[in-house]
Amino acid sequence: MKKIFCLIVLIIELVLLSFSPAQAKFPERPINIVVYLKPGGAGDIFARRFDKIAAKYTDAKFVVMNKPGAGGLVALTYIVSGKPDGYNLAYVTKSNIAQFADADAKIKIDDLDWLAMLVSDPESLIVQKTSPIRTLDQIVTDAKAKKGAQLWVGPAAGGNDHIMARKTWRALGIEAKWVPFESGEEAMVNLMGGHGIVYVGNPGDVTGRPDLENAVISAPKRLGGDVWGRIPTFKELGVRGLDEEIMWRGFAVKKGIPEEARKFYVDLITKVSNDPQWRKYIEDEGADPVFYRDDKFKGLIKEDHKDFVEALKMLRTK
Amino acid sequence: MELFGNLGSAFVALLDWQTLLVMVVGCILGILGGAMPGISPSTAVALLVPFSYSMDARLALILLVCIYQGANYGGSITAVLINTPGTPAAAATCFDGYPLTQQGKAGKGLGTALLASCIGGAFGALILIFFCVPLARAALKFSPAAYFGLAIFGLATIASMGGGNVVKSIVAVLLGLLITTIGLDPISGAYRFTLGSDMLYDGFAIIPALMGLFAVSVVFEKVEKWTGLDRTMDKIDNKLLSFEELWKIKGCILQSSIIGTIIGIFPGAGGTIASFVSYDVARRTSKEPEKFGKGALEGVAASEAANSSSVGGALIPLLALGIPGSATDAVLIGAFILHDLVPGPLLFRDHPVIVYGIFASVLVANLLVLLIGLYGNRAFIKMVSVSDAVLFPFILVVALIGTYSVNNSLFEMGSCIGFGILGWILKRYGYTNSHSLFCRWRPCRFSTR
Repeated sequence: MKKIFCLIVLIIELVLLSFSPAQAKFPERPINIVVYLKPGGAGDIFARRFDKIAAKYTDAKFVVMNKPGAGGLVALTYIVSGKPDGYNLAYVTKSNIAQFADADAKIKIDDLDWLAMLVSDPESLIVQKTSPIRTLDQIVTDAKAKKGAQLWVGPAAGGNDHIMARKTWRALGIEAKWVPFESGEEAMVNLMGGHGIVYVGNPGDVTGRPDLENAVISAPKRLGGDVWGRIPTFKELGVRGLDEEIMWRGFAVKKGIPEEARKFYVDLITKVSNDPQWRKYIEDEGADPVFYRDDKFKGLIKEDHKDFVEALKMLRTK
Repeated sequence: MELFGNLGSAFVALLDWQTLLVMVVGCILGILGGAMPGISPSTAVALLVPFSYSMDARLALILLVCIYQGANYGGSITAVLINTPGTPAAAATCFDGYPLTQQGKAGKGLGTALLASCIGGAFGALILIFFCVPLARAALKFSPAAYFGLAIFGLATIASMGGGNVVKSIVAVLLGLLITTIGLDPISGAYRFTLGSDMLYDGFAIIPALMGLFAVSVVFEKVEKWTGLDRTMDKIDNKLLSFEELWKIKGCILQSSIIGTIIGIFPGAGGTIASFVSYDVARRTSKEPEKFGKGALEGVAASEAANSSSVGGALIPLLALGIPGSATDAVLIGAFILHDLVPGPLLFRDHPVIVYGIFASVLVANLLVLLIGLYGNRAFIKMVSVSDAVLFPFILVVALIGTYSVNNSLFEMGSCIGFGILGWILKRYGYTNSHSLFCRWRPCRFSTR
């Protein structure tokens, strides 16, 4: 009798368990946030901060997994070739789009489900505070006097900042020389040493570097706050066509993850993007906390893709 | 005078049991991490970054700095004992460290490496404390052209290290340059010799090359010369360095410390270049240059003093300019930011406790490394007392696991074996400086956005 009773209890429990809320099933184990940069890089910090804030809203555990290499291709390939079970969340930025721009690229934009864009970081022109060439006007005058020999420094050729530089030259009607470095930091060292006139980056790059300042940013309106609000935009200086050149950061997963997993991510990312502490992190760095999804995000990606294809063509034919 | 006041209170703050515990743990972890092939100082620090989140910012940074300092010494242990540099910066330590072990004088090799590391490290720390800002300013004046000059100087240094045959030395260096052309062109973004494979997109990585050329090639050599007789090392002198011996190489240690600190300051240079340059300078200025490569204590001291002193040097641009001086610094920057601190000159004004805490801990870390090392060396040395039949397969396994651990890549394990074969063949045909193949690998890359 006792045995039968036990069996019945067991069966009831099993049945109850299988009925227990199906939606809440994801995640059953820790989720990897796959970052294409080494520990300590901007992406790593972004992922770890996300983890910190997400803990307020969910019990799910996140593990930051760094998969650097091949300009992000290692991480993207890892995501695309993995199972679409939703346990690998990829940190993505505009730089990654360059990986899809090559005609021989083995991965396609549509292999990924671009969940949401969370940060919009305006591109900016950064100069040395002690330099006689500090404003946009002075940059233009100097560039014209130097007839194409003015030096602009920044990270890798064909990257986001290089594309920004080329667009700026076109908009301003000037010519200059792009000197690429292995990283943005290295390029900034050279700007500080007076070995270049302009560094193309983002407003937050001057943080903790009192030698540098932002000359102009590419945003529809000025940034908020005392520090960042002082920087003029291209628009107000009378330059057209550079109203929203940005570096963006967000998340993506492999296409085809279970519906409940997708719902979990969208809910969580929505909550985190509205969190005041999260917003403050981003605003303090001179960027804009945003929440773009679906068509808006995908439209942006398509445009970036076009830019990178064009930039690649220009580099290869030269 | 404000400096001394701040520094004084920072030292007093270190006396707290929690801080001391963190420092001891940091140094031990650093030494062990450094001694494990494949775990470079930057990896060791990166592995511990997540642990430091829950800690107070000052303690967290002290922990990471101690790991950094410890790892730069730790790399020498395996370099001396089994010719497998635990860190890229310890590669030059192999040249004389391993011959010492082969002569049964492993104790001398380890002792020299330890003392030179600690003296060099302390020297770098002192320079960091007293001349941080002016030195960082001076380093900025170096233009890309000057860096190019430094690179040519480095190549020339390595070409000249082959000893005997100059033509063969140059051939080896050129071969190294050719291999490094593989991968994405940093200027134009073109794919060079990647044969359409993603694996070669970044070219060959440094760790597989290092493990292959140093460790694996020695294993192959041993297999070739295997007599079937299993011979254990007859006698191992586990006596550490005597005071007279230390006194004899004092000039070399001082000179190497200066070189290491200066090279450390240049953003992007770092411990590996420092140790190679300092090794070469030591050989040229030595009274007995013919002993180099055959177990000269000066050779071990030059390499180790330089790579440890580069730690203090590399922290200079980080603290004075907010620019990473080495790959490990790039990881440290992340740790600063996660603790809501912005590395750079404003730290001195806004968070003096943290800056001076780091200063004091870099200095004290060297003392701790010395104490831990003196104790640990007695244990490490037993590693070479096992028979060759066990030791050499073990070296092969360690090298391959170390290579695999970096990126979990089987391709890199394969290329490690490939470099091993290449290194063995080159050495067999008189290209004595086959290690120069890896000279062009930039020893550190900054994290990119």
